[in-house]
Amino acid sequence: MENEKVRIGFYALTSCYGCQLQFAMMDEILHLLDKAEIECWFMVERDSDEDREVDIAFIEGSVSTQEEVELVKKIREKAKIVVAVGACATQGGVQSWGKDKELSELWKTVYGDAHVKFEPKMAEPVEKYIKVDYKLYGCPPEKKDFLYALGTFLVGSWPEDIDYPVCVECRLRGNPCILIEKGEPCLGPVTVAGCDARCPGFNVACIGCRGAVGYDVAWFDSLALEFKKKGLTKEEILERMKIFNAHNPKLEEMVNKIFEEGE
Amino acid sequence: MYIPITVDHIARVEGKGGIEIVTSDEGVKEVKLNIIEGPRFFEAITIGKKLEEALAIYPRVCSFCSASHKLTALEAAEKAIGFTPRPEIQDLRELLYMGDTIESHALHLYLLVLPDYLGYSNPLAMVDKYKKEIEYAMALKNVGSKIMDYLGSRAIHQENVVLGGFGKLPTKAQFEELRRELKEALPLAEYTVELFSKLEQYEEVTDDEMVHMAVKPRNDVYGIYGDYIKVSDGFEFPVEDYKKHIVEKVVEHSFAKHSFYKGKPFMVGAISRIVNNADLLYGKAKELYTQYKDLLRYNNCFANNFAQAIELVYFIEKSIDIIDDTLAKWPVKERDEVELKDGFGVSITEAPRGLLVYALEVKDGRVNYADIITPTAMNLAIMERHVRMMAENHWQDDPERLKLLAEMTVRAYDPCISCSVHVVRL
Repeated sequence: MENEKVRIGFYALTSCYGCQLQFAMMDEILHLLDKAEIECWFMVERDSDEDREVDIAFIEGSVSTQEEVELVKKIREKAKIVVAVGACATQGGVQSWGKDKELSELWKTVYGDAHVKFEPKMAEPVEKYIKVDYKLYGCPPEKKDFLYALGTFLVGSWPEDIDYPVCVECRLRGNPCILIEKGEPCLGPVTVAGCDARCPGFNVACIGCRGAVGYDVAWFDSLALEFKKKGLTKEEILERMKIFNAHNPKLEEMVNKIFEEGE
Repeated sequence: MYIPITVDHIARVEGKGGIEIVTSDEGVKEVKLNIIEGPRFFEAITIGKKLEEALAIYPRVCSFCSASHKLTALEAAEKAIGFTPRPEIQDLRELLYMGDTIESHALHLYLLVLPDYLGYSNPLAMVDKYKKEIEYAMALKNVGSKIMDYLGSRAIHQENVVLGGFGKLPTKAQFEELRRELKEALPLAEYTVELFSKLEQYEEVTDDEMVHMAVKPRNDVYGIYGDYIKVSDGFEFPVEDYKKHIVEKVVEHSFAKHSFYKGKPFMVGAISRIVNNADLLYGKAKELYTQYKDLLRYNNCFANNFAQAIELVYFIEKSIDIIDDTLAKWPVKERDEVELKDGFGVSITEAPRGLLVYALEVKDGRVNYADIITPTAMNLAIMERHVRMMAENHWQDDPERLKLLAEMTVRAYDPCISCSVHVVRL
């Protein structure tokens, strides 16, 4: 990649377009232009083409139609590095919160018996269909997440994953603990850091938008135990944890464990 | 044989939509706006969920106007539980809302619309020749974003707005910083009006039957909150009656529904606000409105761009006024206790792109019913009619030219396609 411009594609599946907006709103993007060629990015470039080859493909959104299944497969074929961007692409997004209901039931609630010529699916993360090389977490990701990832890719290196929770950053900022001191259901203990504990910094409990800490150390069980002690039911705990983690394969099993074991 | 003219993915709009124009020897046969963004079922997934948690996810309907979704959902929820926020909290929420509108208008005008007029395929390519404009765009966007950072926690998906008030208010020094930056941004907004006054308004889309709908602002000052809806045909109705007057239908080529008033399409947005409420403007924006009245044409959707430029000036001035009032009352208490009583509430506000409806029923602290209608869903029917009008005048032109003009018509509405897809119980 050294002397040539890096070819970038930004692709949208079903989403709010917030990750792209965050990317487009960075003043730093102007400095990037000398080093990059935008092959596809419909939100800003009219001359976009999903069929072009790229070095880095950023994918925002959850896979929510049959057409999007085909699109992610095509992107994988044309891209050297595939980056899943944001809560929808990495975890299925808030639209997965309704995962426990049947798609047909959701459809009926919103559209009634009406027929639309496209085929909807229940929202799923990109990884369900293709290999993803790197993930940017958040709803939306922080600007520094983009800068760090791009910066390392541009020098031919690889960004590291964050393997500690929001609590670490919250403690470093010296915030009072919303979970312990105020008794609110804060998801900071299990959520990937990197936001500088943005919401707890505003006295608002974390809702887990950056997804659960990886490496099999997402302490859904110990946090569920803490919530249980504070009087939350199993359903309430699952609901809250599923806002952004509905597709996490470990969640139900770990929360169930707390309730099966009894007091 | 005629090959349909299609734009598979309209660029420089929020969300995924396409245009399909079918012609024959006689002219235009069919025009469709295909909304291909997948469904997200926001109402359905929040039913049965805790009110606070549902309120945390409603802004995720859309990134360009997440603060609008947050604040409208919040007002509907507070009405439902019978809580009225103190006036100073109400003002600060309006300030947050203005941050959203300032950012959204600046991005739309400079980054999404302007490249078409200057002959570019993307705004970044304009940097060499139009450095000043790009810098102005970024500066205006930044001041809107900063309001949202300080009052909402961030520019996209604000968490710092909660039932009863705010999690935490900005410091006095932060308000003063915002005030200073808004003052600096004001001349840039005035420049935007001048710049957009020179752009062509496409005569082909002159629709004398056009009806505009906007909120009747509270306290008789041009703004985004109101309890009545005003229609340009002279009719008014309380927000609670929205279902009688904004009638939604599912169409086959779209995951988003179309909306009708008295059986006909109608428009919402900046131009609709000006058509209905220009007499409530004040300050520099009022002067500019008087000066450029001829460009603010009710019967041409392209006037929406210019109306947004006037609003940029207005909302910057009004933001400064709200900050002055807040500092005069300092210190302001950030939050009051609320009690989650059962009830039903409707809020309709002016999102950057026009009317945004939230109707929520709360039962045992949970959402029992939810209905959301977004500005773009309301505009889709009339947008399609105006793309058709453009096509009827240009169907014999070079297809590339027609495609561009059709896209520009859509972009004039500043559609938020993600927003429009989700939707309502029938």
